[in-house]
Amino acid sequence: MSKDVLSRHEDAGGYVAVTRAPAQPHGMGAVKRDLSNVPDDVFVVVRADEHVVGYCGHVDLGTGIATALAQIVAEEMDVPFSWVRMELGHTGSTPNQGATIASETIQVSAIPLRKAAAQAREVLKTLAAIRFGLARDELHVLEGVVYRGEGTRLASVADLLVGVRHVTRFDEDVALKPRSAYRIVGHEVPRVDIPDKATGRVVYVHDVRVPGMLHGRVVRPPYHGVEHGRQVGRSLIDVDRASIAHLPGVVEIVTIGDFVGVVAEREEQAIAAAQALVVRWRPVEMPDLTDIATALRNNPSTPRRLLDRGDVAAALDTAARRLDVSYLWPYQMHGSIGPSCAVADWRGGSPVVWSGTQNPHMLRSDLATLMALPEGRIEIVRHEASGCYGRNCADDVCGDALLLSRAVGRPVRVQLSRAQEHVWEPKGAAQLMEISGGIDAAGRPVAYSFQTRYPSNVSPLLALVLTRTIDADRPGVTQMGDRTCIPPYAYDNARVVVHDTPPIARASWLRGVSAMPNSFAHDSYIDELAAIAGADPLAYRLALLPDARAHDLLLALADRAGWVTRHGPRQPVDRTARVLTGRGIGYAVYVHGAFPGVAAAWAAWIADVAVDRQTGQVRVLRVHVAQDAGMMVNPAGVRHQVHGNIVQSLSRVLKEEVTFDETGVTSRDWGTYPILTFPELPEIDVLFMDRPNDPPLGVGESASVPSAAAIANAVFDATGVRFRDLPLTPARVKPALDRALGAYVAPEPAPVPLPLAQRRMQGRPALRRGLRDLLNVGVLAAAMFQAASTAWPVRRPIAPVPRPDAASFTPDEIARGRVLAAAGDCAVCHTAPGGVTNAGGRALETPFGQVITTNLTPDVETGIGGWSYAAFARAMREGIGRDGRHLYPAFPYTSFARVSDDDLRALYAYLMVQPAVTHAVPETRLAFPYALRPAMAGWNVLFHDPTPYRADPSRSAEWNRGAYLVEGLGHCSACHTPRNALGAEKRGSAYLAGGEADGWIAPPLGTRSRAPVPWTVEAMARYLRQGHDAAHGPALGPMAPVIAEMRALPDADVRAIAVYLTEDASRAAPPAPDAAAVSASALARRADAALREPAGARIFAGSCAACHEGAARHMDGNRPDLALNSNLQDARPDNVIHAILHGAGHAGEDGRGEMPGFRTVLDDGQIASLLRYLRAVNAPGRPAWDGLTARIVALRAHHGGP
Amino acid sequence: MIELNVNGLRHLLDVPDDVPLLYVLRNDLALNGPKYGCGLGECGACSVLVDGRAARACSVSCGAVSGRRIVTLEGLATEDGLDPVQEAFIAEQGAQCGYCLNGMIITIRALLNENPAPDEAAIREALRYTLCRCGTHVEILRAARLACGLDPAAMPR
Repeated sequence: MSKDVLSRHEDAGGYVAVTRAPAQPHGMGAVKRDLSNVPDDVFVVVRADEHVVGYCGHVDLGTGIATALAQIVAEEMDVPFSWVRMELGHTGSTPNQGATIASETIQVSAIPLRKAAAQAREVLKTLAAIRFGLARDELHVLEGVVYRGEGTRLASVADLLVGVRHVTRFDEDVALKPRSAYRIVGHEVPRVDIPDKATGRVVYVHDVRVPGMLHGRVVRPPYHGVEHGRQVGRSLIDVDRASIAHLPGVVEIVTIGDFVGVVAEREEQAIAAAQALVVRWRPVEMPDLTDIATALRNNPSTPRRLLDRGDVAAALDTAARRLDVSYLWPYQMHGSIGPSCAVADWRGGSPVVWSGTQNPHMLRSDLATLMALPEGRIEIVRHEASGCYGRNCADDVCGDALLLSRAVGRPVRVQLSRAQEHVWEPKGAAQLMEISGGIDAAGRPVAYSFQTRYPSNVSPLLALVLTRTIDADRPGVTQMGDRTCIPPYAYDNARVVVHDTPPIARASWLRGVSAMPNSFAHDSYIDELAAIAGADPLAYRLALLPDARAHDLLLALADRAGWVTRHGPRQPVDRTARVLTGRGIGYAVYVHGAFPGVAAAWAAWIADVAVDRQTGQVRVLRVHVAQDAGMMVNPAGVRHQVHGNIVQSLSRVLKEEVTFDETGVTSRDWGTYPILTFPELPEIDVLFMDRPNDPPLGVGESASVPSAAAIANAVFDATGVRFRDLPLTPARVKPALDRALGAYVAPEPAPVPLPLAQRRMQGRPALRRGLRDLLNVGVLAAAMFQAASTAWPVRRPIAPVPRPDAASFTPDEIARGRVLAAAGDCAVCHTAPGGVTNAGGRALETPFGQVITTNLTPDVETGIGGWSYAAFARAMREGIGRDGRHLYPAFPYTSFARVSDDDLRALYAYLMVQPAVTHAVPETRLAFPYALRPAMAGWNVLFHDPTPYRADPSRSAEWNRGAYLVEGLGHCSACHTPRNALGAEKRGSAYLAGGEADGWIAPPLGTRSRAPVPWTVEAMARYLRQGHDAAHGPALGPMAPVIAEMRALPDADVRAIAVYLTEDASRAAPPAPDAAAVSASALARRADAALREPAGARIFAGSCAACHEGAARHMDGNRPDLALNSNLQDARPDNVIHAILHGAGHAGEDGRGEMPGFRTVLDDGQIASLLRYLRAVNAPGRPAWDGLTARIVALRAHHGGP
Repeated sequence: MIELNVNGLRHLLDVPDDVPLLYVLRNDLALNGPKYGCGLGECGACSVLVDGRAARACSVSCGAVSGRRIVTLEGLATEDGLDPVQEAFIAEQGAQCGYCLNGMIITIRALLNENPAPDEAAIREALRYTLCRCGTHVEILRAARLACGLDPAAMPR
C-alpha cells in the first residue's frame, strides 16, 4: 500500500514521507487480520510542490473532522494550513484505524498523525542542516520555511525537497511542539469542505457515476427490521419474473436466500420494477415490541457487575425514604437525510466498491466474507455520505450493490428507499434502566443500585444474513450497554449491573450509545432525590460531585444561565394556568470505549421549557449548554458540533420513537418518524470552558448526553409530574398531566365559529348512498326482458361503407369536430394506458363487470372506418352498433342523444380523418343477464330518452349552451349521477347528485355540492380550465384526464358549463363563508383532533403538510388546503384514500397538481388514523368515517396490489 | 422526447414524461446538487427552482415542468460569482454533512425571490419542511439571516 500511495506523489518533483508497519486495528468492529503481507501505512507526505497530504483511516461523518486534522498536521509541521489536504478512509491508501466511532478521532487517531507531522518537520530541518552545514538544533521551521536563529531565512520546502525521495519510519518518541507555541491549532478555521458543498461540487457516494453503470434496487423480506432468527434467509418462496416482464429496461432479477434485487438500465425503471415485482414470502414470526419495557426485561441477559461499592443491601434498609423507579428509552433512528447508497463494480472478482461507510476496513472484511474473496482483492473507495451518527445502512447497501454487480457483470448503483433505510437501519437501541435507592433523614442518598438492559450488537452486514453466508439463528451480543453506566455522583454504597442482551429489533450504535439512556436515568434520579429532600438540584449535585472540573463547569453554567436556588419545584403549580414553565439541569461526562472506557468532554445543560396543559405540547424555549473539551483544535468546529448535538438530542427527547406492530418496524418516513423542524428550534447558548493547556477531548457526542435528564427535570419543575420514559410527545404528556393535575379547563370556552355551510350540515343525517338499495334487481331485470321481447326487437346491421374521403368534409366541420371530441372526452375512455389515442382497449370497471372500450379510429377492419354517418349517428343516439348489436350504456349514448345533428356530423368528420390504427380489442363479456346484449333493448325502453336537447327559453343563451354541453357530449351525468340497480342514471332530483367513476367518487354538482366554500362561476371555470381552484382543490383520479381533454374547448364553452353548473346553487345559497374563514376554523380544530388521533396528526405534519399547509408562496405547486376540499366532506373516504395510496398525476395546464403515493410507506392503521384526523379537522359536524380499514384494503387492490 | 430548460440550457431528452424530474437531472444531466432524500416531497433535499419557486424534484414529473425554467444548485452562480445565498451559507458555515444544504439554499433563494425582506419567523416557516438531521439549524438560520439582510449574530448561539 505504501508503494501505491507513494507512487501517486512521483509527480511532485520530490517528497518526504512518514510510514509505519501496519498495526492491528483497535476498537469496535475492528477485525484482527494477518499482517504478514500488508504494506506499510503512510501517515504524511510533504511534497516539493508545497502540498502536504495527511492520511487517516477514520472518515469524516459530516463533522468537519478533516479540517481539524489538517490543522494538527499544519501545526506540527509548521507549514501553512492551506498546503494540507486530508485523505480519509480509503482502504487503498489510509491506515486501518478501526471504525470512526465514539468521538475518538481527535483523542486517539490524531496522535500518530501529529507525531508523523512533527517527524516530517524534523526531516526538513535535517535536510537544511546538511545542505548548509549547520547543527539541526540551530534551525526552526515557520510557515514552510527553514530559518536559522531569529530570522535568517535558509530554504523553503520546495528548495529542500526537489529531487528528494525520502521515506522515514514512524518514531513514537518524536518531540512535539509545546501547546504554548500553537498558531493554528486552537484557532477558528473555516471548514474546508463547505464551499464545494454549497455549489454542488462535492461528489457524495450518491453522486458516483461509473461508465456502464446500471441501477439496482432491493426488495427486503417481511421481517421488517429484524435480522436474526430461523426465518432469516429462509423465508423466500419465489419471485414471479413474469410480473415485471412488461416493464422496460429490466436487466436482471437476483435472488440468493432472502436477498432479492432487480437491476435495470435506468433508475426509475429499477424503482418501478422493484415495486411491481411479485415476491412470495413464507409467514414470519416477529418479536412483540408493543411493550418495550417487558420485551427488554424478558430478553435473555448476561449480567456484568461493573461497580460494587459498600453494602447496598444493608444501606437500603436504613433509608428513611426509598425510591425504586425505572426509566425507559425508546428505539430511535440515525435518520440520515440521504438513504444509503453505493456503487460496486465486480471487475471479474477484483471488485471496487464506492461507499459512504463509517468503517472502510470493517466493511472490506464483511464483503470478503460475503463474496468469498481475500480481503486484499477488494478496494473500498470512501466518499462522503449523508451524516450517519453511528451505524446506518451505509455498509449494508455495499453488500447489496456488490451482489447485484456480480450477477450482471457490470457496475451497479444501489440506492435504498427512504422506507428501506427507516425500517432496516440498525436502530439506536431501546434501553431500560432500573434504580433502587433512597435517602436518609437528612436527605443524603444512602445507596444506589443501577441496572441497565441494552439489546444490541454490531449489526452484521445485512446481505451476510439474508444470504445466510453467516449464521443468523442466534444474534451476537456486544458489550456496549456500559457507556457512562457508572454514575458521576459519589454514592457511598453503589452497585452497577449491565445486562448485555441480544438485539430484538436490529440495533447498533447511535450517537451517545447507551450513555444517553444511562445518563437520562442517573441525572433524572438525582433530581428526584433532590426534590424529595427539598434541596436545590444544583447544590445537591455539587455536594456529590468529587470532580473539580465538574464543579467549575456547573458553576459557570449556573452563573451564565442565572440559576436561582430553589427547594423542590420552583413554584407551586398553578392549576388554573394553561401554560406552565420550568427549568431543569443535567450533567454528564460521556465515557466511551470498552469499559472502563475513556472520558470525553464534560457537558451540562440547563433547559427552560413551557408545557401546554391543553395540548400536552412540551416546548423547549431556551437551553444553556456548557462544555469542557480541554484544548479545542478548531473552536469553530467544536461549536458547530456542539450545536449539532444539542439540536439532534432535542429532537430525540421531544419527538423520536420508532414504532412497531406485529409486522415489525412501522416508522417508514418523516411522518411516522418526525424530527425537529426549524420553527421548533429554541434559543441556544453555548459556553466553553477555557482550557488551552489540557489535552483535547472528543466532542462528537458529549453535549448530547445530559439533554434528556435536563428536559425531563425541567418538565417536572414546571408541572410536578415526573416523566421516566420518552419522547415527551403530547400523547405521552397530556394524559399524565390530566391524571396529576386534572384536565385543563379553559376559563372562557370560546369556540371558533363555524362557517355557515358547515353549520348547516350539523345534525343532518348522513346521506345514504348505494346502488342497489332502492330498486329490486329481480323485478327490474324481469321488466327489462319483458320490454325487450315486446317493444324493441334486435336492430338490423347497417351495411359497411368504404372509408369516407377526407375531401368530403369541410375544414370547418373537422375543426369543430375536434373541439367536440374533446368536449366528449372520447379519448379518455377509448385510449388504453400507454396506447394509441382512440385505438380502444381500455378496461373500465363497472358494477356489472369489465367493459373494454372499442377502437374509434377509422380503421375499416377493427375501427369505425366502415361506418356510415347513419351508423355513427344511430350508435350515438340509440346505443346500437353498426352490426345491429346493442352497446352497453358505459358508452354514454343516453347523453349523446341530446347532441344536435350538426354537431354529430362534425364529430363524425373529425373522427374519420384521423389516422387509422389497426387494433383489435377483446370483446366485452359481462355476466348474466347483461351478457345478453338484446336485453339492452329493454333497458333502453326503460331508461333511454333519445330526445335531442331543447333549449330552455327562460334561461340565458350561455346557460343553455352549458346545459347542452353538460347534458350532451360532456356526459357529466355518466359519472356524477347515481345509477340504479341496472346501471341506469337516476332521474329527477338525483341528476348530478353524485355517482362513481372507475372506483372513485364523482362528487355531487350544483346545488348538492358539498364544497365548504360554494362554487362560483369563476371558480368552476378556473377549475375546469386549469384543473385546480385554490378554494376547492385539484382535479384527481378520472377527472384529471377530463380536464386535460377540455383544453381544446374555447373559454366561452368552459364558462358556459360553469354557469350551468353553478347558477342555481349560487342563487339558492345564503351568504357564503370565505375560504380564509373555513381554513382558520380547521386550523383551530387541529390541537383537539391531534389529542384524539396523535398518530394521524404526526403523519399529517411530517408526510402531508409540506404540500398541504400554509400559503408558502415561495414554493411551486398548488398546495391544496384540505379544509376546502369536498372529498373530505363526502360520506365515504374513497377519494382521499385513493389519493393517499396512489398519489395523483399532474393535471391541468399548469401541471402543478402532482402528489406521490404513500402505499409503500403508510400501513392501513396509519392511513386510518390519518383519515380520522383529517375528517375531524376538516369536516366538522359530519360523522366520522367508519369501516376505514376495509376500504383501505379494498382500494389498495384497485391499482393492482399494495 | 421532452424538452427541459435547465440552468439556462435547453435539453431534448428521450425519456417518458412521467419520470420524476430528480432522476432526469441527476442521471441524464449529471447534476449533483439536487439529492434524493425521501421521494415523497417531505424533506426538501431534492429542491430545485422552477420559475424561481422551490419545487421538490422527486415528486414532479419532468413532463409537468417541460417549458418551465429550472435552476439547480449548480446553476445559481452567475458570471459575477456565487449567489449571495451560497455566499452566506459558506460565510456562516451552514452545513455539517451538507446533504440537506441544497434544499436549504434553494429554499432561501426561493423565499427571497418571493419576499425580499423576510423576518426570522418567515425564514423559519419557509424552512419548516426542509429537514436537517445533523442539527445544523443554528448555522443554517444564521446563514439564512445573513442572506436575507438580517444580522446573523442576532441569532442565539
